Amino acid sequence: MRKLIPRNLTIILSGLILFLLSCTPESCFEETESFLKATLYLNETGNLRAPDSLTVYGLNMETNKLYDKTKNVQIALLPLNASTANCVYITKINGITDTLEFRYSSYPHLVSKECGYTFYHNLISDSLTYTTNAIDSIYIKKNTITTFNEENIRIFY
Amino acid sequence: MRRTYAYFISLLLILFSSFVQVHAQDTIPIPLKIKVGLEVSGPAIYFSEKNILNAEGYIAADINEKVSAVFGAGYLNYKYSQYNYNYLNKGMFVRTGVDFNLLKPDKSLGKYWAGIGLRYGLSLFTSEVPSFQKENYWGTTSSSITKKTNWGHFVEVSPGVRAEVFKNFSMGWTISLRMLLYTGTGKDLRPIYFPGFGNGGKTVSKGINYFIVWNIPYKKINVIIKKEVPEVIEDTGTTGNGQQATGIRQ
Repeated sequence: MRKLIPRNLTIILSGLILFLLSCTPESCFEETESFLKATLYLNETGNLRAPDSLTVYGLNMETNKLYDKTKNVQIALLPLNASTANCVYITKINGITDTLEFRYSSYPHLVSKECGYTFYHNLISDSLTYTTNAIDSIYIKKNTITTFNEENIRIFY
Repeated sequence: MRRTYAYFISLLLILFSSFVQVHAQDTIPIPLKIKVGLEVSGPAIYFSEKNILNAEGYIAADINEKVSAVFGAGYLNYKYSQYNYNYLNKGMFVRTGVDFNLLKPDKSLGKYWAGIGLRYGLSLFTSEVPSFQKENYWGTTSSSITKKTNWGHFVEVSPGVRAEVFKNFSMGWTISLRMLLYTGTGKDLRPIYFPGFGNGGKTVSKGINYFIVWNIPYKKINVIIKKEVPEVIEDTGTTGNGQQATGIRQ
């Protein structure tokens, strides 16, 4: 057997097999969306609590709602517009309408070779404005908006 | 008295001759070499896929029969595009370190190498993202990242094998496991691929290199081979026919 396959050839061929195996392409499995994560708190108790219904859509985007009378939403995921420095959301908490405006800066972030780039954002703390029909107050927990599962704002209603 | 002297001298001669004989049997001449290696898989990939040109080589000098000092350098021109971005990276790298041959000298004979290499790598590169798109609820945002020059460094462990295929010419391969130390680009815009390291999106990258090597012998050394001492097994049991058995395991 040793004479049939010389040692030199074995060494070279084994490398070739390894080389072919190493060329396997990979896929994108990482999270690529960076959402502003807004948790909903009941003002009376101060506890995390989902409203009976939640509707959320962007200004002038009523036909394309993120949440439409959705129940059991404790954490609302709000994507920001990387093309602009601010974006406005309309919320209806238990049917009562409010408007939220976020101001932020955006910067590119590499997710991975397979997934490509996304945008991260930095919320400008003092510039958060909102109406107070259903909403009582909003508290910024973390300014940096990334793909990680981290709470950014707390909405007390 | 004369008999005693004759006996003593002959005993010394016997001892001396056996001593010389043992040493003659227990040393082996190993050529120390200067090795010039060229990586061949990079150009081969370039012929099939024009987007990656990786050219690299190394020069190594045997310090002794086990250890070689290695210095390598290379060039990368990398273009990558997929549905949502394009990426360019161009630059050079150097690697330096040592190779350890794990084969015993009587097995390697200066022709075979199976061992492990340890390297430190330094890379200087220019990267650019001419265009990328990100789509979300608000629509598609198009942007780009301008050309920037950065340097990165890394450490590498590279086990592999090499064998002499013709006189003074070897072929072989190494698997490279590299750990990123620094890219100089910040955590948000890590290089997707950079010279010498590979996939910069990850802290650890792997690769395989295929080398042809020109060996230039510059010195011969005699290496003492530690002979395996035959172990005498004293078997206290008896064989089937009742005789006591003793054996030597090699």
